Amino acid sequence: MAFNGISIVFARCLSLLQLLFRLDRGLPPANRRLVVDGLAGALAIGLVATTPVAAQDKPSSVGLGVFTFTSGPAAAYGMPGKNAADLMIDEINAKGGIGGVPVTATYVDEAQGAQGVIAEYRRLAGDAKNQVMVAALSSATCLALAPIAEQLEVPTVGWNCDTHQLLIDGKSKYVFRPNGNTVPEFIAYAIYLLDRKPDVKTVAIINPDYAFGHDAAKIFTAALKALKPDIEIVAELYPKLGSPNYQTEISRLTTARPDVVFSNLWGADLENFVRQATPRGLFTSSQVILALGETVLQRVPLPDGVIVGVLGDGWWMSPDAKANPETVKFAEAYKSRFGEYPVFPSIKMANTLIYVKAAYEAAMQKNGGKWPTRAELADAMKGSKVATLTGIVQTRADNDGLVDQIVGVTLKTSAQPFPVIGDMVRYKGDSLLPQAGQDPLAWISTLKPEFAKGLPKPGSYKIGER
Amino acid sequence: MRIILAAAAVVMLAALAFAAPWLQFVLTLAIAKGFAALGVAVLLRAGLISIGHAMFFAASAYGAAFLARAGINDLGLLLILSVLVSALIGAIAGSFLVRYRAIFFAMLNLAVSMVFYALCAKLYGVTGGTDGLPVPIPAVFGIVFAEPVFKSILFYLSLMLMVLVGLVVHRYLDSPLGHALSAVHSNEIRLEYLGIPVWAVLLIAYTISAALAGLGGAIAGLAIGRVVPDFAFWTASGHLVLIAVLGGIGGVPGAFIGALFLELLHSAAVTVTDAWNLFVGITLIVVIMFMPQGIYGLFERKEAQSS
Repeated sequence: MAFNGISIVFARCLSLLQLLFRLDRGLPPANRRLVVDGLAGALAIGLVATTPVAAQDKPSSVGLGVFTFTSGPAAAYGMPGKNAADLMIDEINAKGGIGGVPVTATYVDEAQGAQGVIAEYRRLAGDAKNQVMVAALSSATCLALAPIAEQLEVPTVGWNCDTHQLLIDGKSKYVFRPNGNTVPEFIAYAIYLLDRKPDVKTVAIINPDYAFGHDAAKIFTAALKALKPDIEIVAELYPKLGSPNYQTEISRLTTARPDVVFSNLWGADLENFVRQATPRGLFTSSQVILALGETVLQRVPLPDGVIVGVLGDGWWMSPDAKANPETVKFAEAYKSRFGEYPVFPSIKMANTLIYVKAAYEAAMQKNGGKWPTRAELADAMKGSKVATLTGIVQTRADNDGLVDQIVGVTLKTSAQPFPVIGDMVRYKGDSLLPQAGQDPLAWISTLKPEFAKGLPKPGSYKIGER
Repeated sequence: MRIILAAAAVVMLAALAFAAPWLQFVLTLAIAKGFAALGVAVLLRAGLISIGHAMFFAASAYGAAFLARAGINDLGLLLILSVLVSALIGAIAGSFLVRYRAIFFAMLNLAVSMVFYALCAKLYGVTGGTDGLPVPIPAVFGIVFAEPVFKSILFYLSLMLMVLVGLVVHRYLDSPLGHALSAVHSNEIRLEYLGIPVWAVLLIAYTISAALAGLGGAIAGLAIGRVVPDFAFWTASGHLVLIAVLGGIGGVPGAFIGALFLELLHSAAVTVTDAWNLFVGITLIVVIMFMPQGIYGLFERKEAQSS
């Protein structure tokens, strides 16, 4: 509806320009028309914006603002998310939508930067139909949107944004992240690595040069140092996001000859890095950890034995996923529509939509079948426990989600033309996360080598076990 | 006639934001960028293109974030101090930059601003890296308002500042100092022979333009509530030059017209298509091809005809 308003104003603005052009050719002035047009446009927007919508009436559709990268290099991560959202919303609507109301999504491109994203967020939030926002992918976007979500009181569910800073103050009422954060995601790799290769001495890190890369390096290093104090970090490299060429970095890595190379490069960067590092023998000289390796399994030929994971439990081929007919159906539908099986960003998005749907259902059950308000939806998300495509997400008191962490190594099988993940472990979500309100880095430094003893071992997560 | 039109435009803006609350944010940002573009336009009068003014925009926004962290919690004080910060940086950078002309001036501005960008992105401990810094909501004359009220105050304050600062800059451009700028453009040596120190003329212009960019940056920082290094990226600087050229450098309103046009166009384009960049780009090509004087040039031409 607001869009109509904009188009009216725009039509007016354009007619303004046209008028002026004609004026130049000597036609009589029509300034009043111009002012009247502008005011009419403003009025139209005003009417649309102030039309009251009774919160308890069932709307004609459930509006969702979905924030992801649909252009630029980060679309390599963002588009699988958008694709999954498209598919998941179709599946939800095929089953009658949410409470009998069909779901429609408005996608917002995060590539336009914080300013544009905030403007769009405010526009969507101004429409009472959009009760929940699924936002966002980038941590910077989430950090910028979080205060606005609290101020406008719009339930905002982060489908990715895994910075541990997002919910650290524990005061969020409307911002949720049913998806874990950087702390358990990267501690998991440290534990898995030490279980698999207990005699590791030297580690090199190559991460993208922005907050995600630096945070991951900090957490991974801190966890390694706490669990095995004699480990030495021999190189820390931060190539620019979107670098086409990694030859210098690969030279540094091969001459440093570390036991382990850790990386959370992703998207085209990761594909480039793997393609350039494989012929130079990096994968044979060092144990490589690719934290976001699962996203490129279907695209580049990774050798066997590379430690990869999914920053959560969202692997479409995990034993839990295989046991869930919904997930199998989703993966096949995804493959037939987009030509590739879902990668973990897709699963994160799909799980987030399931989380939102569950909140609607819980809220309606609680208030006796009436259509829920935004506050009731946020209430329903608090402390909720939702079964997703790949596991269970438990919302803590600080609105952070507890999800399990799956880590494994690449493995060629006869079943698939691309490598899969084998020798898997599934760490319980709460076992790798500090208590709500605790400073995560301080918590990591208190970990003792005994900490890892109580956790499951590589290879313990197999078909038929949970 | 011109005054009536300008007053009508300001009233329309005020009404538009009142009618559509979400537009208020877009308009606040547009005015903020208008200030920065006005800074670029001032230098353009002297024939100097700065592809680095986003640095002052960002410096002031970061300034506001740091000042807020240091305990300064008043809107007026924050605005004034952060504008002073950017003016100071402008005076320092300007003292060596204004000795250069043409492509060298443009490139050196770009270089300095990218150094600033790199510092913002790399100094994790200080600037929060790419995740940036929060800019909390300050009090207004000691009164703490709720977020929506504060944003309205900020918008109407920016609108007021737009008129006031616009008038001041208009006076400046009409003063001997301002006219000296176009003289630098047409014949710099003659200006020196007349006994006017070109260096001083340009340094003053540069400092004023940095302060204008800073005012925009402080408003934008407060409106967005977070500063990220992208504020200082060279594409942001290019954006400001684009706004200035698009709006037209013939007069003060040009920068604001350009900013409003570009921001509203952007807002409309993203609601229609993922390829919003394409949409914005095509419109810009059309505007620049058919309106070489900028949008404000049309008003001026028409004015000249009717008088």
